[in-house]
Amino acid sequence: MKRTQRKRKERLFLWLCRGATFLAVGILFILLFHVVREGIQWLDLQFLDNFPSRKPERAGIKSALVGSVWLIGLTALISIPLSIASAIYLEEYAPRNKWMRILEINLANLAAMPSILYGLLGLAIFVRYFDLDRSLWSGALTLSLLVLPVIVIAAKGAIRSVPNSIREGAYALGARRWQVVFFQVLPGALPGIMTGVILALSRAMGETAPLIMVGALSYIAFLPEGPSDPFTALPVQIFNWAARPQEDFHGLAAGGIIVLLILLLTLNAGAVFIRHKLQRYK
Amino acid sequence: MSEPLKDNNFSLETRNLSICYGEKQVVRQVNLSISSHQVTAVIGPSGCGKSTLLRTLNRMNDFIPNFSMEGEVLFQGKNLYEPSIDPGDIRQKIGMVFQRPNPFPKTIYKNVIWGPKIHGYKGNLQDLAEDALKRAALWDEVKDRLNDSALRLSGGQQQRLCIARAIAMNPEVILMDEPCSALDPGATARIEDLIQELRNNYTIVTVTHNMQQAARISDQTAFLYEGELVEYGATKKIFTQPEKKRTEDYITGRFG
Repeated sequence: MKRTQRKRKERLFLWLCRGATFLAVGILFILLFHVVREGIQWLDLQFLDNFPSRKPERAGIKSALVGSVWLIGLTALISIPLSIASAIYLEEYAPRNKWMRILEINLANLAAMPSILYGLLGLAIFVRYFDLDRSLWSGALTLSLLVLPVIVIAAKGAIRSVPNSIREGAYALGARRWQVVFFQVLPGALPGIMTGVILALSRAMGETAPLIMVGALSYIAFLPEGPSDPFTALPVQIFNWAARPQEDFHGLAAGGIIVLLILLLTLNAGAVFIRHKLQRYK
Repeated sequence: MSEPLKDNNFSLETRNLSICYGEKQVVRQVNLSISSHQVTAVIGPSGCGKSTLLRTLNRMNDFIPNFSMEGEVLFQGKNLYEPSIDPGDIRQKIGMVFQRPNPFPKTIYKNVIWGPKIHGYKGNLQDLAEDALKRAALWDEVKDRLNDSALRLSGGQQQRLCIARAIAMNPEVILMDEPCSALDPGATARIEDLIQELRNNYTIVTVTHNMQQAARISDQTAFLYEGELVEYGATKKIFTQPEKKRTEDYITGRFG
């Protein structure tokens, strides 16, 4: 009797876990299915090549798509070097004392902050104080603030996971600290850092709230020519369309979501590819 | 590169060396003179401070936050712990091989030349790599796959690669911290043979908890117990006619 009871418990637990998994994935699939069903009819080259319009059949996401690419590119340029350098400092150089622990806890808190707060900060600092106005600079700097703690934490983890024996081996050959960090630790940590970077940039790509705060416009019928130009981005455009009462615009929003998803998937696939290449010697 | 000082009997000397980790004293008042071009084995039970002592000889203990020491470590007559000394320079002349093979996650070739390369070696790196690998008795096994990952080598090959890596720096001393403890008997025998050959060109200090190994490979043996140097002398003498009771008890296997 006891045995059957044990078995039943085992089964129950298995089904609970299995159920939880399928529930999560299932809901995601239902969502995806709806989006694709609604949006697929709007997806064509014209959709990619047209500027937004009041007439749904002529509306497209060209400016939003180009804006997003600009935005993510700039964000990557600003945030990647800054956050890797911070991670190196925190892991390899900073003294391990109370203040550093407080700093690290705060870093984790920053990574969990609601993104709208970054938007407010960006508005106050970049848009107003530095007078960058509603430019790509403002958007990218704000998004950089947002992703910085995320990348720093990921990079710190990756740096920490490089075995100490590698550092010792390098030091034993008379290497200076910067040589150990630059030629041994960093290459070893790169796959992990890349993963963090891609995850963070993917998050930045989907952010809407901070961009609206720093004034990403939803109607832009031209392409930005440089980082000082005003811009719009995919999520802002999607948000704008989804908020309209007309049915057709909801379809456009769904189409925009599909494009955003494809972009994200490409970014992630690229990351997997790079990771794989870098890990050849592991 | 400079010739090792053959006329100098002692390559490394410790004078009244005491080492603490925080409050805990690990090595007490050790005076050890290590002869050039000989193999010196440091033996003793686990936790007796032998690895700590070894790592003091090329300042690898600098990285341990609560490490502190008193006394002197002389290398060719100069105190290694003088403020004016750059530990990086020291480690170029006093190489180290670790307990577990720790090749870099790079190719075999890059492992060997990494040290010389970062120090701006001017000669032919390929020749240097070949020479180092030959001296480490690894060349024949890897000459056709120098661009393979070093991590694909067996444990024993990896350890010989680490020795080649140390040799490529043309050091005067090679410190070995239980270099065979992670290897099988076959690989151990190869490393032991290698150490015998290396003695001709380098001063070798090796730590081991394996007494038979110390007896087989070393010229001088130092017996360390609870941080104190109990006895130090010619290996033959230590293993046949130890002066101290504790040494005898240890080498006859009564404790340890």
